[in-house]
Amino acid sequence: MFKYLMLAGLALFLPGLYALGYSIFEGPSAWMVDSRTFWGTPISLFVFWIGLAHAGTLLSAIFLALDIKLDRRTALIAELSTLVCLVFAGIFPLMHLGVVENFYMVMPLLDARGNFANVGSPLVWDFCCIAVYALLSLVFFMTHLKTREIPALDKYRKPMAWLLFPLVLWVHTVVSLDFATTFVPQWRGAFFPVYFIAGAIFSGLALMNLLLCSEGYRVRLLERLQLIFSWFMCAIWIWDLMLKGSFCTSAFIFAGVLPQFRMIAVIRENKWGRIALSLSVLIGLFLERLYIVSPEFGSYAASPLNWIDWGLIAFSVGGFVLLFFGIRRYLSWKMEGAGSYFGEVDGTDLADAEQQELEKEGARGIEKPKKGFYIQPWASEEYHVLRLPLLVGFAFALVYSIWVLSQSVFANVEFSFANIVPLLYPVIALVTTVTLYVRAYFVEHAFTLPRHEKWASAIVLVLVAACAGAFFAGGSSQNSTNTIDSQSIGVDAPVSQSHARLLWNTRCATCHGVDGKFNEKFVREFYPVPQKLDVQRLDSLGADSLVKVILNGRANMNAYAGRLTPSEALGLVNYMQTLAKSATESAKEGDNDSAR
Amino acid sequence: MGMDRREFIKSCSLVAVMGLLFGCRKIPLEELAGDLPSLKRFEDEVKLALSQAKKTLDLVKVPTPGALKIPGASALNRFGMAIDLDACDGCGKCILACNLENNVPLVPDEDAARGRFMHWVDMRGSAPFMCVHCGNAPCERVCPTGAANHTPDGLSAMMYKRCTGSRFCGANCPVQARKFNFNDAQKLGLARQFNREVPLRDKGVMEKCSLCLHRLQNDRLKFKTSLTVDASAEEWRGRGVKTACAEACPKNAIIFGNWLDEKSPLVKLTKNRELYAPRELADLDPSVVFMRGRR
Repeated sequence: MFKYLMLAGLALFLPGLYALGYSIFEGPSAWMVDSRTFWGTPISLFVFWIGLAHAGTLLSAIFLALDIKLDRRTALIAELSTLVCLVFAGIFPLMHLGVVENFYMVMPLLDARGNFANVGSPLVWDFCCIAVYALLSLVFFMTHLKTREIPALDKYRKPMAWLLFPLVLWVHTVVSLDFATTFVPQWRGAFFPVYFIAGAIFSGLALMNLLLCSEGYRVRLLERLQLIFSWFMCAIWIWDLMLKGSFCTSAFIFAGVLPQFRMIAVIRENKWGRIALSLSVLIGLFLERLYIVSPEFGSYAASPLNWIDWGLIAFSVGGFVLLFFGIRRYLSWKMEGAGSYFGEVDGTDLADAEQQELEKEGARGIEKPKKGFYIQPWASEEYHVLRLPLLVGFAFALVYSIWVLSQSVFANVEFSFANIVPLLYPVIALVTTVTLYVRAYFVEHAFTLPRHEKWASAIVLVLVAACAGAFFAGGSSQNSTNTIDSQSIGVDAPVSQSHARLLWNTRCATCHGVDGKFNEKFVREFYPVPQKLDVQRLDSLGADSLVKVILNGRANMNAYAGRLTPSEALGLVNYMQTLAKSATESAKEGDNDSAR
Repeated sequence: MGMDRREFIKSCSLVAVMGLLFGCRKIPLEELAGDLPSLKRFEDEVKLALSQAKKTLDLVKVPTPGALKIPGASALNRFGMAIDLDACDGCGKCILACNLENNVPLVPDEDAARGRFMHWVDMRGSAPFMCVHCGNAPCERVCPTGAANHTPDGLSAMMYKRCTGSRFCGANCPVQARKFNFNDAQKLGLARQFNREVPLRDKGVMEKCSLCLHRLQNDRLKFKTSLTVDASAEEWRGRGVKTACAEACPKNAIIFGNWLDEKSPLVKLTKNRELYAPRELADLDPSVVFMRGRR
């Protein structure tokens, strides 16, 4: 069964991969964009897949946090679907960029040139929230997968669920802010976060039901929720229609009207009927995303989707099917011997069976302090497992916000507190999780990693560090080949001190400053800080090599050959020496003044 | 004479061939080397854009722009323009002048058919329309990398090298004043560097009206240099600078200047006139406005 699904996925994925490669090569003009919209299909697909990615963690984490019983198999499938959806949700915003290799500039970390992302932009919030969400979902899934082998891990699941519960809602709110903070009339509205979260949960439930059909069983709770959310979505759509007059009829029919057929028992009890219901919801919600992103889609002005758009859709759908069922097959094959990891039992009351099993084993989770005994607050297990990591997370978020607020790199970008608030919870969640697991590994020895996993994690850490270093260094600062004049000015004759001063003020002072004490604000925005000017340094380098540096450039210094003659460069070096001398003298005077 | 007729004709034709070769050397080679589009194509594209222009522009009254309220703003300079709707007859000369000044590339035919030009100046309601350099610019607020930012002198500037092409700024501009380089104009032979002071833009970055930033920068550098030599203590106010569109206007309908400088032509000529801005931009503190009414 899974094998055939994988083959079908591959059949869709391969032509889709070609479309993806072509659109990365060709840039954003490859897919359908009209004169009014800039984004088009990739962003629709991003919103669609990130919505689906909320199904898993939402169901598994929120149900766990709220003590709603969900059996292990369903929960694991949900978590796995989250991870696979996130892969595709992550690809689309990256591939839609005009200059793909500059994506790292969106990270709110300082780079070597003192650049900082504009933390007021929802795109920066997006990037961080989704990255943190992906990481925490992966940790949550791996923990769940390993609990059969290492029961000690089970007590970390509930703290993780409580961390992920707000994060799911947070991430999708931020995604909706991409739209709601703009000036496009169709996208504005304070209800957008609710609208997007409802849409995400709705589509996620449909995906879950579809995947459960492929597993050959059903969870009635999820089906009922799907029906309830269809009513909720209809309410929001009608509200939107009354408010702004925008309405996507096809989405309403697919995701609003058709799901109501669940109320007919014949359709509900038939596997193919359930598949059709879930598919109709997914199609309807995709059409709705397409309509949100390009409001003119479907009107006479817009052109229909071209083959690239279809290719991108096929890429993500085929890729999801291939990857999801590939991992699913691998895991059930790999772990067959160690017990049925996905609980391969067919039946509807799996949750109850599992509950009985748990009761047999005895209570898991965090030990509750027994009544009548006094335990110091910081000595209780609850404190160690939950409160300490959370406190570390809060402390880190506090330090981070103080650090950001103290940056004044872009004087014109407001580092107001409101701008970094969207980043705070993801920071807390990330640091808390890291603390939780580092403590579990090193202090409590709750789990051990086999040798190859140790190696793998070491390699991953090194790779992450290398990437961070590369991003910190930034791209090359090569001279643009097409800047200002390449005519040399003046004839090659020795230049006077006053002419050298003139040259210095026109050519060099923008970065190095009129007095040689560089123009810090400008330089920090564009380049690493240049060397300070002093006599010893100039002498040690020698006039000849400095002339060469001026003419040929070095590191971030631009080449001036063609714009300055060699003797003008020599004149500048001499002028630098007088500047350095006067700087030392004034420094000495300053010292004397302070000594007095 | 030691030269017969045959020798004479031979040397004459050799000289002629040499002359032809030398005469041909420069222009055809330059034309061939970059496969550069002719000026005629730029003129034709402007005509096409004029024929497709929007006919209406919804204007509302706005007060005279004052000092910027953003952190780090200069108290002396805020550059802007006023477009005199009573004088403008919508000839479109400003568009061509801007294209040549800022090396704005041509677009492929399918884009032109959809009305997606790269022109920094559009024609809307038969008046030139460009980025108004909002004091409270929505594009800068959403730019993730800070490539779109505000200079202290009130220009909404672009750092092309820092742009990742997320097109968020374009989506957030209420009047679509931002243009995205969907095509590699240099590779397609659609770009030509008429003006060496302005770089050609690469594929995948946003661009828009810069209020001829390079002219302002040149004037500032010149002023600062002469200041050090003359030591006449005065601040730079950008006097005497004109944008390319203002220079090209036969009716003097585009007036460039400094809103905070009493001596600027902008302040003088907008006195006693009613100022207008597009309805969507009226609340965003525009620096480029339209004027109408008493003279």
